[in-house]
Amino acid sequence: MTIYSLYIFDRHCECVYYQDWHRTRPVRAPPQTSFKPGVHRLPPPPSTTSSQPNGNVNRESIFSENAAAAANRNSLVSNGTSTSQSNKLSLPKGLPFDEEAKLVYGVILSLRNMVKKLSGRDEAFTSYSTSSYKLHLFETPTNYKFILLSDPSSDSLRFVLRQLYVGPFLEYVIRNPLVKVDSREEGVDNDQVSVVPQQWSQRDRFPTSSRHQ
Amino acid sequence: MTIHGLWVISKAGGLVFSRSYSDVLPPQPVNTILTLAGILHGIHAITAKLTPTPIPGVPVGGLESFEAEGWGGKVFLTPTGTKFVVLHSIPQTGLDELMKRIYEIYSDAVMKNPFHTPEMPINSSLFETKLQTLMSGVNA
Repeated sequence: MTIYSLYIFDRHCECVYYQDWHRTRPVRAPPQTSFKPGVHRLPPPPSTTSSQPNGNVNRESIFSENAAAAANRNSLVSNGTSTSQSNKLSLPKGLPFDEEAKLVYGVILSLRNMVKKLSGRDEAFTSYSTSSYKLHLFETPTNYKFILLSDPSSDSLRFVLRQLYVGPFLEYVIRNPLVKVDSREEGVDNDQVSVVPQQWSQRDRFPTSSRHQ
Repeated sequence: MTIHGLWVISKAGGLVFSRSYSDVLPPQPVNTILTLAGILHGIHAITAKLTPTPIPGVPVGGLESFEAEGWGGKVFLTPTGTKFVVLHSIPQTGLDELMKRIYEIYSDAVMKNPFHTPEMPINSSLFETKLQTLMSGVNA
C-alpha cells in the first residue's frame, strides 16, 4: 500500500499544503504569478520568467499536454528509428502545481455535489478509485479538506486523514499562536503535518521499492 | 446488497438511459439526472489526467468507482466510449459480473435493434424487461 500525495485545501478553496512521495511524474512549479509561499517544498520559479512583458505567462492546460502526447505517439508510429528521442519525450510532463491543485479541487467539488444531490442527505463521498490510483477525502466541519492519493488496492484511508487532522494539524497548526490561520497569502509550512502519512509510507517502503525494481 | 440504479451515458457525455431499481435513493427529476450524468462524464476525463504515476505506453484509465457512506457507484467504460454507471449499496459483490451481463443485454437488445439510433435515448422495451429481470434477480 503506497501513498502518492497529500493535499490540504482550506475553506477559501485554495491549496494550503501539499506533500508527495513516490510520484514518477514530477509536479512542476507554478508560475510566478500564482506562487504562494509555504504550500509545498517545490523549488520556486525563477524570478525572470520567459513571459511577455505584460505578465501573461503561456499557461499550460490539460489539452496542450494531450496534443504533445498525441504528436509523440504519431511520430513513434511513423518513424521507428528515432526511438531514443521519443522515449525521452513520451513521458508527458506534469502540469504546473497550481493547475493540478485546481483540477483536484474541481473533481472533489463536483463529485461531492453529485453525491449530495443523489442521496438527498448532506453526505459527502469518501473515496473514488481509478485503475491507477485511489483518492480519499476527509472533510472537517470547518471546511478543511484533506485529500490523500494512494494505490488502488488500499482500503479506506479516511482514518489516516482523520488522525492527521486530530493529531498534528490541530495541535501544531490551529493551536499554534504564530501561524496565521485562514490567511490567503501563506500556506501551512509545517513539518509535523506530514508526519502521519510519512510513517504510513515508510511502513510500506520495502514493498514499493521491490515493485519499482 | 441492492442495486439502486443504472445510467447509460453515450460517447459524447449525454444520458441515454436511466432507471432506478430501489427506493433507497430519492427519485430525481429527469433534468437533474441529465446534469449529473454530464458531470460524471467530465469527472471521468479529468481523473485520468490526475494520475500520480503514469506508466509510459499504458493508456491511463479514468474514474472507475466512487463511494459515499453506505452506497457507491461503479463505472464501466466500453471500448466504444459508452459508460455504464451502476449505483449500488456498499457491501456489494459480483459487480464486474453484473456489468458484463448488462453490457451483453445492451448489445443484444439495443445495438442489434435496426431501429435504434446510436447516441440517442434508448427506447427499447426488450432492453428494459431484460434489465428488470436481471435486477430483480440481484436485488431479491
